[in-house]
Amino acid sequence: MVASVFPAITLVALLVPILAPDNPLIPVTTSSGMSSFVAPGHHGFLLGSDLIGRDVFSRVLYGIRTSWFSAIGVIASGMIIGGAVGLVAGASGGLVDSILMRITDAFLALPGPVIAICVVAAMGPSLFHTLVAVAVVWWPFYARIVRGEIRALAGRTHVDAARLAGVSRFRLATRHLLPGAVPAIVVTASLDVANLLITMAGLSFLGLGAPEPAPELGAMAAQGMQFLLTDWWVAVMPGMAIFALALLSNIAGDGVRKLWGRS
Amino acid sequence: MAAPDPGIGTLAGNEMTMSETSPPESRQGIRDQVDGRLHGSGSGLDAVASTEDLSITFARGRQRIHALQGVSIAVQPGEIVALVGESGSGKSALGLCLLGLLPTRPAPEVAGTATICGVDMLTSPESEKRAIRRSRLGAVFQDPMTSLNPTMRVGAQVIEAAGSEDEALSLLEAAGIPHARTRMRSYPHELSGGLRQRVMIAMALAGEPSLVIADEPTTALDVTVQAQILELIRELRETKRTSFLFVTHDLAVAQQVADRVVVMYGGRVAESGPAGAVFDSPYHPYSAGLLDTRITLDGPLAVELPTLAGDPVDNSVVFSSCPYLPRCPSAQARCEDGVPELRQLDADRWVACPISADEYSGPGLVSIRSKARRAFQPAPRTLDLTESPDSPEIQLRGEASDGKASSHQVVVTVNDAEKSFPLGRRDSGRAVLALRGASLRVMAGESVAIVGESGSGKTTLLRAISGLTPLDSGSVQIEGRSPQMVFQDAGSSLTPWMTVGDILGERLRKERMSRHARRARVIEALRSVELSAGVVDAKPHQLSGGQRQRLAIARAVMVPPSVLLCDEPTSALDVSMASTVVNLLGRLRSDLGIAMVFVTHDLAVARTVADRLCVMYLGRVVEEGPADLVCSNPGHPYSIALLESVPGRGRFSPVSGEPPNPVNPPAGCSFHPRCPQAEAACSATSPCLKTGQGEEMSGLHPGDHHLVACIHWGGRLGSS
Repeated sequence: MVASVFPAITLVALLVPILAPDNPLIPVTTSSGMSSFVAPGHHGFLLGSDLIGRDVFSRVLYGIRTSWFSAIGVIASGMIIGGAVGLVAGASGGLVDSILMRITDAFLALPGPVIAICVVAAMGPSLFHTLVAVAVVWWPFYARIVRGEIRALAGRTHVDAARLAGVSRFRLATRHLLPGAVPAIVVTASLDVANLLITMAGLSFLGLGAPEPAPELGAMAAQGMQFLLTDWWVAVMPGMAIFALALLSNIAGDGVRKLWGRS
Repeated sequence: MAAPDPGIGTLAGNEMTMSETSPPESRQGIRDQVDGRLHGSGSGLDAVASTEDLSITFARGRQRIHALQGVSIAVQPGEIVALVGESGSGKSALGLCLLGLLPTRPAPEVAGTATICGVDMLTSPESEKRAIRRSRLGAVFQDPMTSLNPTMRVGAQVIEAAGSEDEALSLLEAAGIPHARTRMRSYPHELSGGLRQRVMIAMALAGEPSLVIADEPTTALDVTVQAQILELIRELRETKRTSFLFVTHDLAVAQQVADRVVVMYGGRVAESGPAGAVFDSPYHPYSAGLLDTRITLDGPLAVELPTLAGDPVDNSVVFSSCPYLPRCPSAQARCEDGVPELRQLDADRWVACPISADEYSGPGLVSIRSKARRAFQPAPRTLDLTESPDSPEIQLRGEASDGKASSHQVVVTVNDAEKSFPLGRRDSGRAVLALRGASLRVMAGESVAIVGESGSGKTTLLRAISGLTPLDSGSVQIEGRSPQMVFQDAGSSLTPWMTVGDILGERLRKERMSRHARRARVIEALRSVELSAGVVDAKPHQLSGGQRQRLAIARAVMVPPSVLLCDEPTSALDVSMASTVVNLLGRLRSDLGIAMVFVTHDLAVARTVADRLCVMYLGRVVEEGPADLVCSNPGHPYSIALLESVPGRGRFSPVSGEPPNPVNPPAGCSFHPRCPQAEAACSATSPCLKTGQGEEMSGLHPGDHHLVACIHWGGRLGSS
């Protein structure tokens, strides 16, 4: 039940262009002309407006959309790259296993934010560059989990039986080992979503995300900080959105864990 | 013990003092208290334990499992009662009931009573049940490793139950643990399975309980150790007058140990009575069937074993007629009129079968038995499948003919195999020496059984032949198609997320064929092992244990190998299923002309399935020869010991000592420390396999010689 929060958020994120009342990039002109720093609930601004009069509600919705799809993208890449590395390492064992896992360890030792700064400094600020930087440090975690699961499965009798049945190594890995690791991957990934949302919001807060005027929750919170004492909603609303998104993801992740029968 | 215990006064009011760590000196006090209340209430019950009309229903998902349906039994003081039944008979649930250890969440529906010394173990408050468990009950379970705390020394655990170190020591000694004082400092993992079970028995005996409930206590043990434990239990009954409720699926064990037997079927008592009477002349068709399907050391060879017809009982129904009716060979029309009540045959014989002895001509019970026996006997056909028109053997036979080797061809040659598994850190140098120069040859179409205790290397040898375990030195040569293997636990050898069709179809991937043709082949293979085509889309967990075993066999012979390796193919199955699987393997063997190698600890199974027998001890073959000859006239003292340890037969003289430690095998003949015939020379020479004439031969010799590796074999002075 709780696990269905994931598809629900995805649906909301997909429908943002329809749900958002205003364009997130263009200041809204009201009858009085000036629309900067309108308090929440006035002049049709549900969550108020920012310095140049853009609708905070619309910007938060687009920010949620960006954060959500970014998180899913990074997790998917982690599952695919990490899953492949872990599967090959776990199914091969021996030297291949050792080499692949040492490489994984090396990536695990990289400091995520520093890599992000390097990538952005070298290639210029863009959401895609940030995502690549995060993905580079994210997959080793999955590789370790998949490899551990596969090693455990590889010792079981059904793998011996399949080997005797003359199954090819590729099929052994994909049909007799990988499906057994899927529950662990899915559960890990679903509990990881919140983690990733917060990490990326943090990078965006530091200016390592999509450049202005793109609506990003972390960046919006950072800009709003200077007006926190006078016009609090500009910073607090995106912050609340990050908080709510992470909390919901964690609850949903817990639901997935229960659904797949893991403790 | 007689000193007043300060804890007693607070016992009734304070549960905490009753916890497992409370001073065990109070046991006597608790017993006095319990006795006082008992006698005070005036319920002068004789039985140590009794149940009356006990019914238990578990909810499993949407299904309701009726584990027990109106069971009444009683255990008298100093009596060993064996509760015998197959899985699903409710025997374990009954044991848990008497211990008051039924699961609480979700709680099963319970009706009737289960009393220990007058205290109802179902409705009494937890504190009272705990008092009874502490003072009156002991429990021994199948796996002593999980019942002992791995982080505590065994001495400390026994002291916890016994109260004092001296008491613990005497209990461990009573349980037959050698060097008990030094053993107390060991952790559970440092002890062998047999010693662990003895520790459990010592703990169960703490505080001189009236009743020990033992649930399959010897099932996980080697046959030699099982024999020792059974002796120990009989001895304890004599010396301490302790009653035992012995839950087992093994009829032979029950016959060996019990005074009285209760045969259970479908959560009901089918028959109960003195062990001798029930085993000599079973009345209930189920008891008779169970006894007939048992694989024994003196049964006829080269005929199909009798099997029980029909499927195991379905516990999710409430019976309106005799639960055994669908499988019963002696069924009458009136068997459908309600569930038969237990009726008294003799002073102490009860049976739940409405058919009376006079309904048959001839002398009563015997005639019923022989009628049942006739029905169980297979149709008079040979082992060749071609004669039975309903057997779909066409494809399998076609496959076999090209791979079939002539009968003089050797298909497996294992030469001087050595294998060790390092223990812990690689550089520590300590290793389990699983194989220490074992040689074996298997001829085409031949069936060879390898027997031995755990640690004998028999499974390692089998895995070496299969290619799954590479050898350190020596060689394995296979002629013809690569070997296939049937594993001990068929369930875990089937990939759980694949369907039956996928598992079988995988064997045909190398051959180009349409999806339709492949499915037809799969269904054919299912039929050849007597599985219905309907299971093709099922996942392994939806099948029963027997069905899974047959599926594993179907996979192995789908493309017939030159040799089929079977690792304890019957040990995980119920008695009635075991003979079915043995029959199936025998039929496939003669039909497909494949050689078979069995690894088994069960000599009776080995003798039934094998042409030739190899007895292994500590990584070496110590005796080898025609199966029937080795069983009837064993040459090696170890083979003799193994045979003498088989329960349920007249002679029963367990060999002393533990199964050996393969980390550190003794010098000379490995068996000499346990050998009753050992002499000085045995520790100096390690004997080779020799014929009765004293001619040395390796395991690779041609022909059916009876070879024994013992200096006493053949010429007494031998080659030492």
